[in-house]
Amino acid sequence: MSRASRPSLSLRLALMFALVTALLLGGIGFYLYLSLNKEIAFRDDQALRGRIERMAGLIQGYEDIDALREKPQLYANMLGNTEHFFWVLDSAGTPLITVNPADLPVPDPETGAGMTLRNGGEDTPYRLAAMRLEKDGRRLTLVAGRLLAEKQRMLASYRMQLLAALVAGTLVAFLLGGWVSRRGLRPVRRLARQAATIDSQHLERRLAGGGSYRELAAMTAAFNRMLERLERGFTHLSRFSGDLAHEIRTPLNNLMGQTQQALSQPRSREAYQALLVSNQEEYERLSRMINSMLFLARAENATTFHREPVDVAATAQQLCEYFEGMAEERGVTLAAPVGGQVLANPELLRTALANLVANALRHAEPGSAITLATAPQSGGLAVTVHNRGPAIADEHLERVFERFFRADAARSEPGDSGGLGLAIVDSIMQRHQGRVWAVNADGGVRMTLWFPGRASTDG
Amino acid sequence: MRILVVEDEAKAADYLHKGLSESGYQVTVAQDGLEGQHQFSTVVFDLIILDVMLPALDGWQLLQIIRRQAATPVLFLTARDAVEDRVKGLELGADDYLVKPFSYAELLARVRTLLRRGPLRETQHFRLADLELDVLQRRVSRAGERITLTNKEFALLHLLLSHADEVLSRTLIASHVWQMNFDSDTNVVDVAIRRLRAKVDDPYRPKLIHTVRGVGYQLTEAP
Repeated sequence: MSRASRPSLSLRLALMFALVTALLLGGIGFYLYLSLNKEIAFRDDQALRGRIERMAGLIQGYEDIDALREKPQLYANMLGNTEHFFWVLDSAGTPLITVNPADLPVPDPETGAGMTLRNGGEDTPYRLAAMRLEKDGRRLTLVAGRLLAEKQRMLASYRMQLLAALVAGTLVAFLLGGWVSRRGLRPVRRLARQAATIDSQHLERRLAGGGSYRELAAMTAAFNRMLERLERGFTHLSRFSGDLAHEIRTPLNNLMGQTQQALSQPRSREAYQALLVSNQEEYERLSRMINSMLFLARAENATTFHREPVDVAATAQQLCEYFEGMAEERGVTLAAPVGGQVLANPELLRTALANLVANALRHAEPGSAITLATAPQSGGLAVTVHNRGPAIADEHLERVFERFFRADAARSEPGDSGGLGLAIVDSIMQRHQGRVWAVNADGGVRMTLWFPGRASTDG
Repeated sequence: MRILVVEDEAKAADYLHKGLSESGYQVTVAQDGLEGQHQFSTVVFDLIILDVMLPALDGWQLLQIIRRQAATPVLFLTARDAVEDRVKGLELGADDYLVKPFSYAELLARVRTLLRRGPLRETQHFRLADLELDVLQRRVSRAGERITLTNKEFALLHLLLSHADEVLSRTLIASHVWQMNFDSDTNVVDVAIRRLRAKVDDPYRPKLIHTVRGVGYQLTEAP
């Protein structure tokens, strides 16, 4: 995480700015250069053409071509400078008039009809225009040309200027881009500073910076939601640890107290036996609690678990048989559902349902019935357990599935699962992507296990 | 019958030694894996009880050494009941396992089952004192009087009779009679026993179903 080993986002953005600028400037420069080049060539050609036409007019105006040869200064002046050259060739290619300051070789007189233009010269490139002319029965070829060295020098200098502009522009874009990015990323750095202050002691803190920017607002909101979930989980977990310690303390306190009391003086055999039996009960309670805890911990970390279509009616029937005796002793009857099939882990489904039935038995009014039923609901199957009896306070309806939750904090029924039975149900349902909830209904409490997925009630 | 107990935890080794000796077995205790290996190579045992977490040589390694040389039944004890652990033990050739903390009655039941070599003889007719049970006819009678039992009551009595004189834990009873393998914190088994007693024991003498406090239930003639 060292600063140096990571590329900076500002630098990256600056480089991207520079790259974009270079591409843009390069493209524009290239286009300008090409059009300039084309324009110059066009003008040069026009000039050459004009020259030949003027010379043709001149030659036509004179009676004799030889007379014109006598007055070289006429066209020499016209030609003006050393860049230009001019020939009048007869049909054999012999120059009649020559203006050739650059000492170029005499060109080939063969040329097509009308005006033709071509390039030539390897070491000293030039441009030629040629035209045929009939004068007094003689075929003449007029050739006008121009050296390209000057033009190429100019274009080369132009290229250099463009390149310099490109480099300078890119550099400026890089510097400006870096500056802009650093400024633009300031809210991100602010967020980072804020995030750095959040630790397990300060999970209630939230990110506030960057709120006015749409992109950052989305990220900030998502991050804050994550923090909220973490805080909830963390609070849950720390309260759970506290509860756990408390729950373990109770049986431990019993064990230590009664053992020390018994050992304080010699006692009868029966008294020792009674002590051991009582201790055994506490041990079993601890053992059950640990098993439940392990079950919950493992369920949270479990990655794979087996699922298959399970016949709810058969499972419920099995549970009814299991709890039959207990129910009869309490004067309660158990009614199993008609049918239904869910995709579930059979063992876990049975555990969940058994915990609900055991809970219902614990709170059922004597003489009433506990009803297990199934019904399709929200694209899944709902398995319900209803018992008549005292209602759960509305504010506790959701909390009964929390670990160690007891509506009455002081009440601890001997032999109950230490407040973990319904939490286990909740955990099992979460693993099935299902839900469990409780409602007060029909003079009692109805707990619903909802399993998602294609379910059938005729199974 | 000779049993080798390989267990490094002194208290656990001590009570296993005492308990199994009281049940009539000759018990040798090894404190670690190497000692276990030594004992195994010098004496022939009928059963080995093996703790998995051992110093020097762990239970899995010892189990592999044992399996290379003999088919002695092995019951392994583990504190971790992750499925992978159990599967590993059984794949390495162990015959059964128990997860700590386990009830002593449960351990004794497993030991008896493992030592009962060969296929279990399916008894069709049980008799204890004046109590009779016929599996095929599903008839139960006491002192010559016919007793009507529900299916589960019959299954419970059948279980008790087929393990006469043994103390059966509630967990074992729940898993055999109702196929409930989860750790139930309800007193379903106690209720079922109470109801069975009302039919089978209460009107008669001597009492046959005994509560072994803190452990479980036992069907026996001797009080």
